[in-house]
Amino acid sequence: MHLQELKSYAEKFREYTELRVQENRALRLTLINGNVVGNVRTSQSGVAARVFKQGKWGFACHPDVNNSTIGQVIDRATANADFLGSKENLPTVTLPGRPGEIIRDHVYANPRLTQKELIEFLREVDDHIIGKYPDLKSRNVTLSTLEMEKTLLTTDGSAAFTLVPRALVSTVMSLEKDGKPVELYEVYGGFGFFEDNFRQPDELYAKLEEQYRHLKNKSTGIYPEAGEHDCILGPDLAGILSHEAIGHTVEADIVLGGSIAADHLNQLVATPALTMIDFAHTALGRTCPVPVYMDDEGIIAEDAVLIKEGILKTFMNNRETAAHYGVRPTGNARAYAFSDEPLIRMRNTAILPGDDKLADMIASIDKGYYLMKASNGEADSTSEFMFGVVQGYEIEKGRLERAILDTTISGVAFDMLKTISMISDDMVWGCSGMCGKKQVIPVGMGGPAVKCRIRIGGK
Amino acid sequence: MEPEKIIEIGLKELKKLGAEQFELELNLAEKQEMNVHSGELKLFRTTVNNSLRISVLQEQKRGTIAVNKLDDDIIRQACREALEMARSSKPDEANAIAPRQPAATFTRGVLQPDADAMYTGLAGFVRDVKERFPRIILEEVIHDHTRNRSYFVNSNQVDYLTDRGFYTFVLVFTAREGKHTSSFNYTDLTTQSLEGKFLDRGSFSTLLAQSSEQIATRRLADKFVGDIIITPDCLGSFIGSITSYLRDMPLITGTSIYRDKLNQSVAVPGFTLRSEPLSNELEDGYFVTGDGFRAQDNVIIEEGILKSHLLTLYGANKTGRPRAANYGGNYIVDPGGKSLEDIIASTEKGILLSRFSGGNPSENGDFSGVAKNSYYIENGRIQYPVSELMVAGNLAAMLLAITDISRERINFGTHLFPWIKCANIHISG
Repeated sequence: MHLQELKSYAEKFREYTELRVQENRALRLTLINGNVVGNVRTSQSGVAARVFKQGKWGFACHPDVNNSTIGQVIDRATANADFLGSKENLPTVTLPGRPGEIIRDHVYANPRLTQKELIEFLREVDDHIIGKYPDLKSRNVTLSTLEMEKTLLTTDGSAAFTLVPRALVSTVMSLEKDGKPVELYEVYGGFGFFEDNFRQPDELYAKLEEQYRHLKNKSTGIYPEAGEHDCILGPDLAGILSHEAIGHTVEADIVLGGSIAADHLNQLVATPALTMIDFAHTALGRTCPVPVYMDDEGIIAEDAVLIKEGILKTFMNNRETAAHYGVRPTGNARAYAFSDEPLIRMRNTAILPGDDKLADMIASIDKGYYLMKASNGEADSTSEFMFGVVQGYEIEKGRLERAILDTTISGVAFDMLKTISMISDDMVWGCSGMCGKKQVIPVGMGGPAVKCRIRIGGK
Repeated sequence: MEPEKIIEIGLKELKKLGAEQFELELNLAEKQEMNVHSGELKLFRTTVNNSLRISVLQEQKRGTIAVNKLDDDIIRQACREALEMARSSKPDEANAIAPRQPAATFTRGVLQPDADAMYTGLAGFVRDVKERFPRIILEEVIHDHTRNRSYFVNSNQVDYLTDRGFYTFVLVFTAREGKHTSSFNYTDLTTQSLEGKFLDRGSFSTLLAQSSEQIATRRLADKFVGDIIITPDCLGSFIGSITSYLRDMPLITGTSIYRDKLNQSVAVPGFTLRSEPLSNELEDGYFVTGDGFRAQDNVIIEEGILKSHLLTLYGANKTGRPRAANYGGNYIVDPGGKSLEDIIASTEKGILLSRFSGGNPSENGDFSGVAKNSYYIENGRIQYPVSELMVAGNLAAMLLAITDISRERINFGTHLFPWIKCANIHISG
């Protein structure tokens, strides 16, 4: 829906109201061992209204977007807030705002490929993999795209039209060693349409070679030794560290839910060399993987500096928690689908680069591990975190030695961050971050490599 | 537009376009959802959503479109696009649709929600928790009623209608006193009845009591091979990981650790795992599989013997193995003969594992992760709650190292699980 058309519904707002029309368009193509096992396009769209009244929220949505349903969802959301208000009175809260108008379309810069051409692209990648690496037990090549298009209007005058596309190609390679499977995945692409990210299949071949090399090493890998070790967390791990271990712990709804971060505001929680930011849309002069210019509460987005020189400076807020803490909201409230309400979410969370060289960092470790790629992660209200690690190497006397098999690392963030002794001078964003809370949502996470003490699970 | 009319438009259009084989799956969902945030009942949501999935097989090539707008033009357009996507794809002789079966209509659960009763139950729960567990912060409680009307039809004249309605209650919480915080924990319940107090159902009061005392934990500065007693809340994630090896992709790619294990021993003789979407013991289930077959209850592991993979029609065609009687879920683990108290009493050194926060298990079944909300057991007694403790093992080996299964079970409405004790787990603090 055009923004101007949506604005005509402002006259129907009786309380603080957000009105959002959204469409998520997705494509998923999957080749397993050369067979097309997935070939699916989806479109989910509709209109949603959220109303705040006497400290209570009402929400309603409908997949049809027309004059009648828009009126209905506003009325229903208001009635739902009234329903809760009729049962219990809460103090009236004035929600802070940072209103404005944002138009952020993303136009096609390159000719769009047809479905057949997209399948052929994947087919070519798959043919290359099996031709070059015939000893693979299996391979999986998947293309997934997501375009999130939102039009938003709020009572206090915020209005936005945004389109945020993401296109990813993932490859999974599997070998069998002594009758047991060993697997490694890689993901390419990021912000933009498929055609923005991928031009020719052969542009991926050098990266596939790297993936295969690491898989071969892993197939003869060893179990890491359980216990606490000196480790280098590569950018992928540093990214998930930022997101899981610190980011979730300082989301204001989690803080109000009991997170230990409540006691650490304006205290030293990390080495003074560490600064960590949840970037809204631009980091170090470049567009982030998931740029957010206005959130789904109509707040103009700005960076949230979470840790500055080791000091925990702020939590991430929505309008209501910003009112609770008496701070300015920074645009962290986001909804995944039209049928979802905005939740406090990270956008693009990263540790800023330091001054060290990765080679020097590895050379500084007598016995430890270089951990390169994560599978999944989880945070806790205690700031204890866990990540699955699927790619890494042992370090012996300053040199990379044998690859390691899958393991899990864990630690208490506000302790572990103080053990960081070196930070590399580069920065890499992960391209495929997806965060799960009540809803899933795309996120950016990245950073430099960091040297730290961390606990490794295993035998 | 009436659902039957939507189906009719789709069927006619696909026939007109010359689609060889096709499926239409229409789902109409309505949800009433109340949310507690940080101990306060804050949000009431009413959502309406649809989904129309159109899948076409043309020359054994498959294309699928899913949309949620259901007007005449969009349905016809989706049919054309699904056919075009199929034509753009590659042939696979394993592609197929379900054969003709007798038409049927299924109804289950509570179809109309009672918002006042939902509010009363939820508000009462919040009040009860504040009174009985003053250290607990209810980070989030989601209490909803969802009604789903689902139509599945295909060009082989499969014609199923399912109308289901259930209440669910999901709880995420932490305990806090002063500056001491427990790990968060969570649990859930699916039910057809709002009678009685939520606090008395599922594992709510047990977990809330445990978290209340878990604000003071101890690190176990030890590294040993011992026992774990997996609680019913925690068992779900292990069952989910184990059954993932029985599904299409790992069996098609040949990487499943259970690919050649059908009718062989994969667990101790006392272990039986069922998938029973039709069970009267559970409050939720399903009647039609995702590929259009009437679902049946299924024994996956019977007395330690693997009796069924979880293959869809495509997976069965691709691997030459039998299609499963259902597509998994609604898991029931048969009870054992010992009480939980006796199982703990017989444990020399180990962990009561209440929540597992771990990396995705490896393709070979290896797992490792952090024991959350868990307790150290020594000399047959629970000693103290632990933190920063890691456990590691192998899923396949773990099923063969089960030493006890409790006679008590927790019914979550969607699953029914006992406590299970396993030996030879690596534990490191």
